[in-house]
Amino acid sequence: MTGTRQMVITLFVVAVTCAVILSFVYAFTEPRIAETQARLTLSGLEEAISAHEYVEVVPDTLWQALDSLGNRVGIVFRVFPQGYGGPIPITVGLNREGTITGIRIASAAEGLSETPGLGAKITEPTFTGQFTDKCAAEVALEQDGGAIQAITAATISSRAVSDGVRKGIETYAEYLAPAHDKKEVFPKASSFSEIIADTLWYAIHDADTLGLVFVGVVQGYLNDIKFMVGYSKGSQITGVTVLSCRETEGLGEKIRDEEFLDKFKDSIPEAITGATVSSEALIDGVKSGIARFKEYIQ
Amino acid sequence: MTKLNIFTRGLVKENAVFVLMIGLCPALAVSSTVRDGFGMGLAATFVLVFSNLIISILRKNIPNEVRIPIFILVISTFVTIIDYMMQAFQPDLYRALGVFVPLIVVNCMILGRAEAYASKSSVVNSILDGLGTGLGFTLALTIMGTIREILGNGTFLGLTVFGESFRSAPVIFMIMSPGAFLVIGILKALINKYVKRELR
Repeated sequence: MTGTRQMVITLFVVAVTCAVILSFVYAFTEPRIAETQARLTLSGLEEAISAHEYVEVVPDTLWQALDSLGNRVGIVFRVFPQGYGGPIPITVGLNREGTITGIRIASAAEGLSETPGLGAKITEPTFTGQFTDKCAAEVALEQDGGAIQAITAATISSRAVSDGVRKGIETYAEYLAPAHDKKEVFPKASSFSEIIADTLWYAIHDADTLGLVFVGVVQGYLNDIKFMVGYSKGSQITGVTVLSCRETEGLGEKIRDEEFLDKFKDSIPEAITGATVSSEALIDGVKSGIARFKEYIQ
Repeated sequence: MTKLNIFTRGLVKENAVFVLMIGLCPALAVSSTVRDGFGMGLAATFVLVFSNLIISILRKNIPNEVRIPIFILVISTFVTIIDYMMQAFQPDLYRALGVFVPLIVVNCMILGRAEAYASKSSVVNSILDGLGTGLGFTLALTIMGTIREILGNGTFLGLTVFGESFRSAPVIFMIMSPGAFLVIGILKALINKYVKRELR
């Protein structure tokens, strides 16, 4: 009987002592662990899109990126597409137009289980760099009709990344929408009330309706061009911005030039030489949008 | 046996991995790079030294019937401490070692030394034994890590050896699981042929 009692008491004392020691160690390391974790997450976000501050929208998944003045510069999100050896943790940064600012793939030390030397090469800048400045439509392997060159002998991993990034953009692009400040096309208004969801708003200042802000989409040279227009009661265009991802490098890009977009404020401008298709599409889009929504302020 | 002998026995003559063939699971799994192998070895050494110390102190008060649960409690406490410490101060290494840090608990090398040595020996001798065995384990993992990292990744501690052309197309096989078996098998064969007999 004394033997049993001694067994129980010894085991009890040892277990309690261990538990007490561990609780002290935990209390000491816990803040450090949380801090380290947060710093690692942040450095991953910074590689995807550089910003002053990241505001968590969906925990551990989606962040709004803000500059030092608090303006939205884009979003960052994380996706985990299934690769060859397991899920691939990818952090993707998008600017306000939905163009990829950068992607970062976790290394093997951070949980990537792709084959070392083969699939694991997706973490290398020669591969991840290809995604920078691309739009969702181009993010696919070359053999799938996209613009991403797969890594030799690692097609499954390469495809998992490009498909994962594209699907991620499709899923999270809606979070970019509120990032487009309607104030930019209608500076005088102080608030906006929605008339048609995601399409049409009244621009309001001091309870007066000053005009309209609307969003439209036209077919450009390669991709759709999404744009936002501010239109005042006095039939004046107060501003035009292009929201969608870049069209073709160099030429179609010209429709983004401030100089061209500012011309709308005076009168409908001429098409841009060398980017006729894109600029005409935008001009037509603005015109037909005005024609369609005019009645709301008359 | 002199103090030096107690220390060197675990280091070379009864090296856990190469001679006794215990603790093979982490030796195979966490020796793909020098840093991982070295880090794993030091973590195991820390646990081994402190569990040997505590068990040696308690050895006269531990009832024989419950000695194994008590050993495991002591070992797992130190494993948890090193686990938290690594998470807080060495997060990269922690993630590289992955599940093998908590699995130090069931490394039979540590329980083996507690049972076979620390529970019967003085405190100083137990510490020396733990240190020797642990550093022997570290040595084995570092040797394996060196061979596997150089051949399989073309690097040593992340620095390129043999030039870029080899770095871009190394013997990938070596850093994958089969490479671990191959390396340990060849090392064991070499040790059997050239080293072990002389030490006997």
